[in-house]
Amino acid sequence: MTRITRRTVLKAGVAASAVGVLPRFAVAQADDRPSITIAVQQIVNANTLEPLREQSNVGTRLMTSVFECLIEQDLQRELQQIPGLATEWKRIDDRTVELSLRRGAKFHNGDEVTADDVVFSFGPERMFGKSGAPEGKLFTGIIGGETKDLPPEVPAVAKRLWPALERIEAVDKYTVRFVNKQPDVTLEGRIARGGSQIISRRAFSEAKSWLDWARNPVGTGPYRVVEFRPDTSLTLAAFDEYWQGRPPIKQIRFVVVPEVASRINGLVSGQYDFACDIPPDQIPEVEKHARYEISGGLIGNHRLLCFDKAHPELKDPRVRLAMCHAIDRQLIVDALWAGRTRVPKGLQWEFYDQMFHADWSVPAYDPNLAKKLLREAGYKGGVIPYRVLNNYYTNQTSTAQVLIEMWRAVGLNVEIQMKENWGQIFDRNSQRGVRDWSNSAPFNDPVSSIVNQHGPKGQQQQIGEWTNAEMNTLSVELETSTDRPRRRAVFRRMLEICEREDPGYTVLHQTAVFTGKRKDIEWKPAPSFAMDFRSRNFKIKRA
Amino acid sequence: MLRYLSTRLVRALLTICFVVTFAFVILRLSGDPALLILSPDAPPEAIEAFRKSWGLDRPLWEQYFHYFAAIAEGNLGRSMRDGRPALDLVLERVPATLALTIPALILKIGIGIPAGIYAALNRNKLADRLTMLFSVAGFTVPSFVLGLVLVLIFAVNLGWLPSGGSDSWVHGILPIITLGTAGAAVLARFTRSAMLEVLGQPYIRTASAKGLAWRRVVVDHALPNAAIPTVTIVGFMVGSLVAGAVVVESVFSWPGVGRLLVVAVANRDLAVVQTILLFVALTMVCANLTVDMLYGWIDPRLRTRRVAGAG
Repeated sequence: MTRITRRTVLKAGVAASAVGVLPRFAVAQADDRPSITIAVQQIVNANTLEPLREQSNVGTRLMTSVFECLIEQDLQRELQQIPGLATEWKRIDDRTVELSLRRGAKFHNGDEVTADDVVFSFGPERMFGKSGAPEGKLFTGIIGGETKDLPPEVPAVAKRLWPALERIEAVDKYTVRFVNKQPDVTLEGRIARGGSQIISRRAFSEAKSWLDWARNPVGTGPYRVVEFRPDTSLTLAAFDEYWQGRPPIKQIRFVVVPEVASRINGLVSGQYDFACDIPPDQIPEVEKHARYEISGGLIGNHRLLCFDKAHPELKDPRVRLAMCHAIDRQLIVDALWAGRTRVPKGLQWEFYDQMFHADWSVPAYDPNLAKKLLREAGYKGGVIPYRVLNNYYTNQTSTAQVLIEMWRAVGLNVEIQMKENWGQIFDRNSQRGVRDWSNSAPFNDPVSSIVNQHGPKGQQQQIGEWTNAEMNTLSVELETSTDRPRRRAVFRRMLEICEREDPGYTVLHQTAVFTGKRKDIEWKPAPSFAMDFRSRNFKIKRA
Repeated sequence: MLRYLSTRLVRALLTICFVVTFAFVILRLSGDPALLILSPDAPPEAIEAFRKSWGLDRPLWEQYFHYFAAIAEGNLGRSMRDGRPALDLVLERVPATLALTIPALILKIGIGIPAGIYAALNRNKLADRLTMLFSVAGFTVPSFVLGLVLVLIFAVNLGWLPSGGSDSWVHGILPIITLGTAGAAVLARFTRSAMLEVLGQPYIRTASAKGLAWRRVVVDHALPNAAIPTVTIVGFMVGSLVAGAVVVESVFSWPGVGRLLVVAVANRDLAVVQTILLFVALTMVCANLTVDMLYGWIDPRLRTRRVAGAG
């Protein structure tokens, strides 16, 4: 029989303490994951991390790390729809989609994702707003600043994302149904798009105000928000209970470095691991350093020119078409982008799948045809204003200068007017002519782009730049028809109207984004603005 | 003295009213905050809702009077972009800016004034010419160029210092040197000119002729008389402590008032811009008042003249 002495008791006590302490110590020791710093021009435009308010390209970059949708877009391929927080989904009818939730998926606060959270994410408190919400005051009050009321732009964005959502039903704890007011073949696409991310109901309810929530949101992504200092930095930490497995990075820090030169200097001096938004002419600056490289390429965004057909010289569609035929797009791609982007097939993307028209193309470069069209239209050399921002888009100013010369070569008298901001671009107090824009497709259907941006509720028509009666009728049909061959034909006809018969815009080239990074980091850019830092897409090569 | 001070205060208030009005008109007529903050890709109805919620859809005169009335009540408004009180946003950034501008001011004074005195005392000698060469170079090279050159040397090539950010005091070294260099160059030139003018005065010759040691002539007679223009320049530098580092803060990604101002102007975030302008105006007014009082302390003749004028 073992005797219990003071010494054995002490030994047992030490051993018991060690049992409690050692595992934690071991975990801490085992966490040898790297932390990385990413230099960006801007973290978000609207200074919140709420996807419904942050509708910018820069915001898209980090949302994937914090939030997830029920259906995800495959960032490692061509944005095809793949299971996200829903493991499977099926159509009940033309208006209804039923989704089965992933069991065990957790929010950053440890709660399991349930149908209740999904219903809440698409409900009035978070998305569509309560009726009768108070209005803000001139410069001194803001809804959402100190209360849970949504800023009015949030419900407005939500209504654009979900124009006809009737309700969401929780069938059981792990099953939800999206019911639309009208037939809609794009429901799955809308579920997968930015703005439809699922949030924690409890975390939203516990936040002191909407603004507090929007600065420290709780999603299910691989990284959780640790600290957000607007216009300065955003720190994310690995969420180890992430359903796709332990994230490969311990901490990600996005830091705002507004100047390109400073981002590059910071990268090559080892202060940053990634430097985003590198313009094409600066790529050699990064690549001349052996330890760094440029990663990136095409994303789902096209650069376009928009026409204001109210301008006297642009009333005749032949003048607008002549402008389209006068542009040597491939020359712009080769000269200003070093061939790192391409001329796409009009305002469409391959991930439209069956809706994609592979045989469609932008108006060909044909100066003789342009001259002929101008003669037929009786163009007499009147001035056409072209409002340009100073490199809001990459290479914007130099592209404008190239375009002016191309137009001059066929006899078009286009004059650049440099503007400071979008308000001045849209200003109706003086005659508008041509301006720059870019369009993305948030989901895999033409409704997400040609209808949303050039249809009756799209920006071009809303600001009174362009309209076309047939286009507007077809927009409604494309949104509501479930006859897939007919929808394909309708989309084709829309391309014909918008890009040839009565040009509202013309596509110049696809957008490409470039990120400077350490060569020893294995990381593949997504075909979108999003940056994917999940375990399948991040690894540091051993020397 | 009281009458003098009250006149200056009324003038300062009028200046501030003018600044506020000017900024309001320029900012409101030259851009739409809704498009800038929400981005042109936001749905038109969201942009419209934003305009409505902030009253940007109301007539300009109504916006102006509401805004002015709020300021008069001490309410500087909220940031349209950030949603928080503009004053809080600005006050948050002031320490970061002062962490750059105060050491830079010490650097300017510590290098600029001795260099100017040294150059003046060695007029037309090699030391004078070299000092002025560096001074002209420091004065003419734009701060963003100097900043980038320093980064290339000390961060990229030597790897001694960080290229930007604000994580530690080490991050402040390059921006402080960049800020300090141009100011030191300006001070050196002004100090030299002032000293040369004073050194040519008859009382300096008299003091020397009396047999006073040259050091005492310089310290007791030349320096106090040359101090007036130098103090004026230093006063301007003190006045620009709050928002005098706009370019340097951008180059070095330093989260101070200058960066906030750039972002607020770009987004036409009126309340934030106005709050910063008020701060700048306030520091300028305070600096000017202090300088005015220092004039009297440095040169008793000015004090006597002021009292006589007031009487």
